[in-house]
Amino acid sequence: MPCNPAIGGTAKGHLVREIDALGGLMARAIDATGIQFKLLNRSRGPAVWSPRAQADKGRYSAWVKAALEAEPNIHWIIGRAGRILLDGGRVSGLALEDGAVFPCGALVITTGTFLNGVIHVGQEQRPSGRAGEPPSRDLAESIKDLGMKWGRLKTGTPPRLARRSIDFEQGVKSGVFHVEHGDSEPIPFSFTATQSPMNTAVCHLLHTTDRVHQLVRSNIGASPLYNGQISGIGPRYCPSLEDKVMRFPDRERHQLFLEPEGLDVEEIYVNGFSMSLPVETQRELIHSLPGLESAEMLRPGYAVEYDFVQPTELRSSLETHRVAGLFFAGQINGTSGYEEAAGQGLLAGANAARSVLGRPPLVLGREEAYLGILVDDLVTKGCLEPYRMFTSRAEYRLLLRTDNADLRLTPRGREAGLVDDERWERYGRRRKRYDTNLDRIRKTWVRVEGGARVPAAQALKRPEVTLGSLVSAGDVVLETTPDDFALDTSSVETTVKYEGYLVRQEQAVARAQQAERRRIPEAFPFERVPGLSREMVQRFSETRPETLGQAQRIPGVTPAAVAVVGAYLNRF
Amino acid sequence: MFSTSDTIVAIATPAGRGGLGVVRISGPAAAPVAGELAGREEPFRPRYATFATITPAAGDAASAVGDQVVITFFPTPHSYTGEDVVEVSAHGSPVVLSSLLRRAIDAGARLAEPGEFTLRAFLNGKLDLIQAEAVADLIDAVTPLQARVAFDQLEGTLTGAITAIEGDLFDVIAKLEASLDFPDEGYHFVGSEEAGAALASLGDRIDRLLGESARGRLIREGAQVAIVGAPNVGKSSLFNALLNANRAIVTAVAGTTRDLVTERADLGGLSLALIDTAGVRETSDPVEREGVARTRDALRVADLVLVVLDGSREMGDEDRGILAETAHLPRVVVLNKSDLKGSGIFSIAQGVLGLNWSATSTQAGPGVEPFAENAPQHRESRLGRSGKDPRPLFSVSAQTGAGLDDLIAGVAEALSTGGIEFRDQPAVSNVRHTALLARARGALARATEALEGQVSEEFPLLDLQEAAHALQEITGRRTSDDLLRHIFERFCIGK
Repeated sequence: MPCNPAIGGTAKGHLVREIDALGGLMARAIDATGIQFKLLNRSRGPAVWSPRAQADKGRYSAWVKAALEAEPNIHWIIGRAGRILLDGGRVSGLALEDGAVFPCGALVITTGTFLNGVIHVGQEQRPSGRAGEPPSRDLAESIKDLGMKWGRLKTGTPPRLARRSIDFEQGVKSGVFHVEHGDSEPIPFSFTATQSPMNTAVCHLLHTTDRVHQLVRSNIGASPLYNGQISGIGPRYCPSLEDKVMRFPDRERHQLFLEPEGLDVEEIYVNGFSMSLPVETQRELIHSLPGLESAEMLRPGYAVEYDFVQPTELRSSLETHRVAGLFFAGQINGTSGYEEAAGQGLLAGANAARSVLGRPPLVLGREEAYLGILVDDLVTKGCLEPYRMFTSRAEYRLLLRTDNADLRLTPRGREAGLVDDERWERYGRRRKRYDTNLDRIRKTWVRVEGGARVPAAQALKRPEVTLGSLVSAGDVVLETTPDDFALDTSSVETTVKYEGYLVRQEQAVARAQQAERRRIPEAFPFERVPGLSREMVQRFSETRPETLGQAQRIPGVTPAAVAVVGAYLNRF
Repeated sequence: MFSTSDTIVAIATPAGRGGLGVVRISGPAAAPVAGELAGREEPFRPRYATFATITPAAGDAASAVGDQVVITFFPTPHSYTGEDVVEVSAHGSPVVLSSLLRRAIDAGARLAEPGEFTLRAFLNGKLDLIQAEAVADLIDAVTPLQARVAFDQLEGTLTGAITAIEGDLFDVIAKLEASLDFPDEGYHFVGSEEAGAALASLGDRIDRLLGESARGRLIREGAQVAIVGAPNVGKSSLFNALLNANRAIVTAVAGTTRDLVTERADLGGLSLALIDTAGVRETSDPVEREGVARTRDALRVADLVLVVLDGSREMGDEDRGILAETAHLPRVVVLNKSDLKGSGIFSIAQGVLGLNWSATSTQAGPGVEPFAENAPQHRESRLGRSGKDPRPLFSVSAQTGAGLDDLIAGVAEALSTGGIEFRDQPAVSNVRHTALLARARGALARATEALEGQVSEEFPLLDLQEAAHALQEITGRRTSDDLLRHIFERFCIGK
């Protein structure tokens, strides 16, 4: 965890649940090592409820490492990857920088921010993938030799402060810090969790001041972001302090959060304060923050620039178009965020294994999962800036909820060989309870306000009626256990309460499926379709859409062009 | 993407030209759709012209126009597109044609995208390479709007109005989306009351556009020039003479023109919409009364009114009434029937218009009297320009064409120099736009209802997205990346 000590958040929490439903580790890791849990958007509808948790970075990494080490089929080779080896159009192995060669049938490359990584702090630039670690240069060269389209992105991280140097109590008392607690009833990420996680830490909210903004402005020439030193494109949803001040001069203050990086570590992460100004300026800025006048900076924030490959080079399986058996996942594909990377890692890993086994890839639809949206967006649109998931990217948002991620995806994971017996049996019981309960509330009659008797399902459509209230009134008896009660009621209640909206979304899915089902062969000769202009041929050929649905989503492609391709699909 | 295998329909003749209009239907259901249109059960005989009467649809004011048409069926593959094609030749009036279009859509056809017939012809091997280049342009047009502009430059200000509505809707959507995706940014992006007010205003704007469409103001872009006058003074004859086409229904029976007939005309270098109206008179015939009501509507929206008087007879009460009714409007008075002998001219000029005949006669010169006989001296026929109020009087013969050139020059001058402000409120004249606007309106209403029910943003957003998609079919699609860009430009997001 090189950056923020947290997992989840809006849409990212959905990804974590989906990874879990497919048998991935992330949810269980954060459930085991999280120190503060919150459900975001709780005041809104269930489709946008997103779990988020502060992580104990050290424990999180250790937990994941231990879980991987416990896997009997993983063979570890620890070294610096250097060169991708080919045999014809297919990957045949990997050479380490030290020359050792490892043959393979499929290769997944996950480079984080290491590909030709350069860290910037003020004028100082040094080749590095992240604080204290060297970049990956040979591998970057090797990938460029394959002729892939690549670009350069930028991201950043804030300074870390010493916990012992901050008087939190005084800050709260004087009103400059506001304590941020976790939920009083924390909800776990994993569908396999048998107990609620614990909140063992708090965060503190504070705000920047005019003095901070003035300091940034007077030192802006020393920022590599503003003096031309950095050419990579940064994420707009995670702006540096420099960007916040310069681009939004009218905003009087910005939120900052002091987040512990673990239960018993010194580092405090200053969320919202990422920057690449010189070390001295950073120290001065921190000391200008109310309550942090004498805070000790353990290490400065920095910006990091790195190479990525345009993900239009990829198929929906995350395998490259150019080299069979070569898969990419994570920042190399232009994404940012642990959750986006984890989701791709899971899919790329599964599909690498499946390609070796000669099985078709696991590809999720946009109507099935945020993971499907993530991959589809990448391979059809490419990246102009680091890609982050948002719920507004989902056309069928109401269908893609955290409460039904297992119902949506565990069968897909099982099919793909990702879901073990234990999870599969648990899913079977959960599915059965869901179906039983749905059936039951459709058949159980209850009395509503005014005295009429209606099916419980109908009563539930009233805003003031909840499934919980029907259960506690004894009107409805659900098939559930105390551990499963929250999840079971949430899924059933949502399915019934929002039925009208859900049906509309399902109809929209059905309409879109016509185009999604029409497959375009990998070698389809777009240049031979009469009437397509060179520009359209180029867009199609660069992206290599796999379905007419994907073809529609390629930026700049016109409806008529897609119609013509559709008309010629069966002619070549 | 649109389907290339369903049945599509469009008006095939260019807007505003020719006395004949053709509605073309192409696709597997072309013949059944035409059958329904004509109320006919037996199949059409291939490549034979079949005469049919289209009866007005009940309850739809806009299609309360029956017409006699000729239907020709071209079975696949020997047709323009290579598919089953039916061509319905009708009266060239836009009212008739859009009514036919609407009914074909009701019968199951889809309104064709611009150029889609050509596209199909091309896909079915009916066009050669040179012709196919036009298709390439179509394929390259990124948005439907661009495609349409390529086909019809005149949609400009209407799509402008829709674009503005779409832009404001997009802004509301972006704020509601931001509330969902960025709940802990310390921003209050938009409250439900503010969003509700914005939606109400958007609804009103769509209603106004739709209202114009519903009132039958089939007005395209450019200045609106309405021709009004008492029955039988020759309004339709003048309309046709100005268009140089036998367009409106012209008979000697008073009150024939019951609907507004609009045509685009290029008069004196100005593009304008010429509106023929029903004779303004008190009537008991309900259909005609509707026509008179529409005439009054036309007067309200017109940039310039041509008041037609019969120069061959004395002023009547109806003439006086019309002159009084249009006295405050920018107008040009036209004395028609200069080819007939008559004595009305002096009383009109002196008595009713209040023009000082002797004062203007020096400007007009000695060519006044000849109107009644012959009236070839157009320049002199202009009377009574006083101050900045352009109120010229023209004598013409719609029958012989005498005086028309001068009238046209006068209309152009009145429009370009007379201080007349062009209507900037565009009217919906396009069936496709109307349908999409109506769809957007329905979705907005549902969103408003959801918002009032105090549900979370993602529910009204479902309807708002639907409304936006309808409008974006006119203005061009937007992606979720556009949405995020919009949010990030306006709000400082991110910790």
